[in-house]
Amino acid sequence: MSASYSFFVNGEEHTTTENKSLLRYLRDDLGLTSVKDGCSEGACGTCTVVIDGIATKGCVMTTKLAQGRQVLTIEGLSEDEREAFVYAFGSVGAVQCGFCIPGMVMSGAALVRQNPDPSEEEVKYAIRGNVCRCTGYKKIIEGIMLAAAILRGERNIEPDLERGENYGVGQRAFRVDVRRKVLGQGVYPDDLTRENYPDMAFASAVRSKYPRARVLSIDASKAEALPGVLGVLTAKDVPVNQVGHLIQDWDVMIAEGDITRCVGDAICLVVAESESVLAKAKKLVRISYEELEPVRNIEEARAEGAPQVHESFNAFGNHVILEDNVCQSRHVTRGNAKEAIANSPYVVTQHFETPFTEHAFLEPECAVAFPYKGGVKIQSTDQGAYDTRKEVAHMLGWDQEPERVVVETMLVGGGFGGKEDVSTQHLAALAALHFGRTVKCKFTRQESILFHPKRHAMDATFTLACDEDGIITGLDCEINFDTGAYASLCGPVLERACTHAVGPYTYQNTDIRGFGYYTNNPPAGAFRGFGVCQSEFALEGCIDLLADKVGISPWEIRWRNAIEPGKVLPNGQIADCSTALKETLLAVKDVFEKNSSHCGIACAMKNAGVGVGLPDAGRANIRVEDGRAVVYSATSDIGQGCNTVFLQDVAEATGLPRYAIANGECSTENAPDSGTTSGSRQTVVTGEAVRGVAFLLRDAMLSVEAGNGVPAQRVFARGDGKAIEYGDGTPYDGVGYADGSALIAGHGVHPKDPVAALRALEGCEFGYEYFEPTDKLGADLPNPKSHICYGFSSTVVVLEPDGPDRGRIREIHAAHDAGKVVNPIAIQGQIEGGVLMGMGYALTEDFPLKDCVPQAKYGTLGLLRSTDIPQIHAIYVEKDHLLPVAYGGKGIGEIATIGTAPAVQNAYHRLDGFVRESLPLRDTPYSR
Amino acid sequence: MARRFVAVVHCQGDSAFRDDIDPNTLPHDCDAIVGEHPLGVRECHFSCLGGGTCEKVCPEGAIHVDENRVAHVDRERCTGCGACVHSCPQTIITLMPADDSMWVKCSNHEKVVPAMKKCDSVCVGCKTCERVCPADAIHIDAFLAKIDYQKCLSCGMCAAKCPMGVIHDVNGIVAAD
Repeated sequence: MSASYSFFVNGEEHTTTENKSLLRYLRDDLGLTSVKDGCSEGACGTCTVVIDGIATKGCVMTTKLAQGRQVLTIEGLSEDEREAFVYAFGSVGAVQCGFCIPGMVMSGAALVRQNPDPSEEEVKYAIRGNVCRCTGYKKIIEGIMLAAAILRGERNIEPDLERGENYGVGQRAFRVDVRRKVLGQGVYPDDLTRENYPDMAFASAVRSKYPRARVLSIDASKAEALPGVLGVLTAKDVPVNQVGHLIQDWDVMIAEGDITRCVGDAICLVVAESESVLAKAKKLVRISYEELEPVRNIEEARAEGAPQVHESFNAFGNHVILEDNVCQSRHVTRGNAKEAIANSPYVVTQHFETPFTEHAFLEPECAVAFPYKGGVKIQSTDQGAYDTRKEVAHMLGWDQEPERVVVETMLVGGGFGGKEDVSTQHLAALAALHFGRTVKCKFTRQESILFHPKRHAMDATFTLACDEDGIITGLDCEINFDTGAYASLCGPVLERACTHAVGPYTYQNTDIRGFGYYTNNPPAGAFRGFGVCQSEFALEGCIDLLADKVGISPWEIRWRNAIEPGKVLPNGQIADCSTALKETLLAVKDVFEKNSSHCGIACAMKNAGVGVGLPDAGRANIRVEDGRAVVYSATSDIGQGCNTVFLQDVAEATGLPRYAIANGECSTENAPDSGTTSGSRQTVVTGEAVRGVAFLLRDAMLSVEAGNGVPAQRVFARGDGKAIEYGDGTPYDGVGYADGSALIAGHGVHPKDPVAALRALEGCEFGYEYFEPTDKLGADLPNPKSHICYGFSSTVVVLEPDGPDRGRIREIHAAHDAGKVVNPIAIQGQIEGGVLMGMGYALTEDFPLKDCVPQAKYGTLGLLRSTDIPQIHAIYVEKDHLLPVAYGGKGIGEIATIGTAPAVQNAYHRLDGFVRESLPLRDTPYSR
Repeated sequence: MARRFVAVVHCQGDSAFRDDIDPNTLPHDCDAIVGEHPLGVRECHFSCLGGGTCEKVCPEGAIHVDENRVAHVDRERCTGCGACVHSCPQTIITLMPADDSMWVKCSNHEKVVPAMKKCDSVCVGCKTCERVCPADAIHIDAFLAKIDYQKCLSCGMCAAKCPMGVIHDVNGIVAAD
């Protein structure tokens, strides 16, 4: 007789004869998808459940071990507990991407049940096994403390906050997705199951054993013969065997006879009826290889006679033949750097190295695809539905009819740039079309680590000079990036690294050369900061060395060079009225001066919007449905909170409360293309499109309130940040627009009864497109405008100067200019999360490679945990005079990550006089 | 923040007493036992002697020897002073962070085959724990698993997967306590 295991889940007894991980049992057998699968290795904590009162990882526990025990998931918490956590997490801003949140809630709930009044330290310990990559933990800790206080009866839930009566720009806005993320009801692609699609099959790729090897033969016959296997697809089954975000160089699968480029390369795709059959079938595929010597690093890539990783690629319709391993190069120059440096009294030259960094978003890549309307529909976790559509359509040979691919972005459990390229989407679509079935393709955590593009490793030499007063005269530098096996976003990332290597200062002599090299390492691409984390780490280190030579403080040298409105950035762009770098410097001046012997400072800037002459438009529609203004815009809210920002923009423009506004489906079928979540662009670029369309709605609301009829047809307008015209070319004449008054938050002209006015417009539709042209890189203009705007920051890192904790970080003060603060609740978590990510980058995170093979597991990446966090002070400054787009918001996504690592380096330099030129910094109390 | 430590005894006492040993006649002093029986009193000579020296030196009364002559620590009372650690001639008591949950309840350093004949709960150095640990926090050193608490996440994967039941969970959830 086979054994059976009985235990209680949320009070109800369940029995199974299978001994398997409790995580899989709860998700697959009981459909409890609140229990998230972030790694299945015990490292991330997303599957935390409470067993006999103890928070335990569901993936570690088995049904056999659970015998006789009480298992509790979010669904089994009391109504009071659930409401306390929803309100507490929402009101402090603890929820960003949301993927870690159910696990955090369970760890928190277990603690609070045992200890109703926990200290902050106790809360930190309770969640030390739960990784959060978005928030920096601080808000989650505050959330658990507040939930405990509510459950003790010491604090009250204020229902108005979630209802959002006042939801405009600048208001404390309870994020739109808090409730469903806290309660685990939000749907990420992996939460789509056979309940949703009874015909669901499962696909997974067999990946290369070697970074560089010729695939001699693929024998899938044994796998295909296994009952439950639908089939095994190879390169021969792919219409166009090449994808790529901008440059197409990425083989969907490596064909027989071809050479692999990294260990993440797919050789074949196995499709089966169940995940267990799939796992067995993958082991039955026999691949024979001829192992070849890999290209391990930049030096080997540059070496004479080095094997070429790619012979050619396709870029924007051109077939480009390559002569060497240089994937991309950029030369950014202005003035005469050589001469300026030669004539300067103070010059420093310094070499810097930074490693690859793994995004480590909590949700591994996953997509579900099925045949749909003569094409295919993909439900995916990505950073841009239209980008995913474009890549998949290209693979299917549908470049001329991309609309046959419909992409719907589901909840995204973190991206940070790592979900810009297709990963699982194209494989799921390929299999869905081949077999005529719904197919889920999901990465294991290790597959995710092997496959998706990392932050580029950098090797750079910077020469920076200044005059006797510390005024910077010129920069000469060479930045070399290891872009690994595929281009991904190497071009734009390298370009941003180069254009931002100058820092947020004002000098006019620069010579910056950037090269991105192909190697056989995992690919590198976009990662929060977009190349700027690397180059500003180098620059800010040089600035401190110059300050020492001049004999002024690191704060003072930055103050003397800081960009301010009307002055010219090193790229020639004139800084706009909103530029508040100096205000951020003033905000950290006291703390810097009080701790000058053991603290470090760094400034940073980051563009908002793609810029550089590219067609980067924001688009949004509003349709009035069931008395609500539903905003349609294909943009990915990857946890940064843009869906909330958009509703705030509508509330600001129209006076509507939160409950009368909603986000529509984010899909290529139902929402216009508003570009990728990249380049800190959603708050400003799509935000301005939403403001624009909300003005059209408001105008109609005012009109019906004045007794006029409803618009007979769709109302459309477009603007470029300076002027707006309707679809027929007539200039826009909305109230408060011409004098700019209504473009300032808090000064809108609203209907007297917005909800009633909206009701009268049922079924009406409005559309808006915002495209503000910029100048291309190297434009022959005295003052080219490269980007719509820039965010700025000044960060001070204070170390413990002595005692047993000497050298540990005591506090970080991160002052940011993100323009108008759209949501004060959200911005703090964005800054804190960015700062902690930067601190990890500085001190603990690494991505070791051995002959091009990643050696790290999720648990050994060096991600900081709740018990590691210092005091983080998120400071934001606002100018009185802001930009007239998107209510003055400039985006906070990337700038928050950039300044911390150089400030940490500079702090250690102050403390012990030793320049650490590579990351992670060596010889610190955090060294592993 | 300073971490609190507690003592742990790395032996379950599952190895039988040697034929020539009458446990009831052994002195209540581990050093005296070692003097008489340099190879210990059980088949596994790494085992707890059960003489109770640790009990005597503990200022908190937080460690006691049970009827099977194996020492146990009361984690609530233990202050992590380390007196027992230094008193143990078998060196089978160590300190671990009180907030961590997993510990290896064995001190065997002998090869697999002889060790398995001597005890039912013996670490045989099979490296299963090494393979499944997500944090690279447990390693086999001379046939014995050792946890690096600087790296350990207390996830319990090692304990849940240990085929010999040697790794314990102080909470008794993923393995015996």
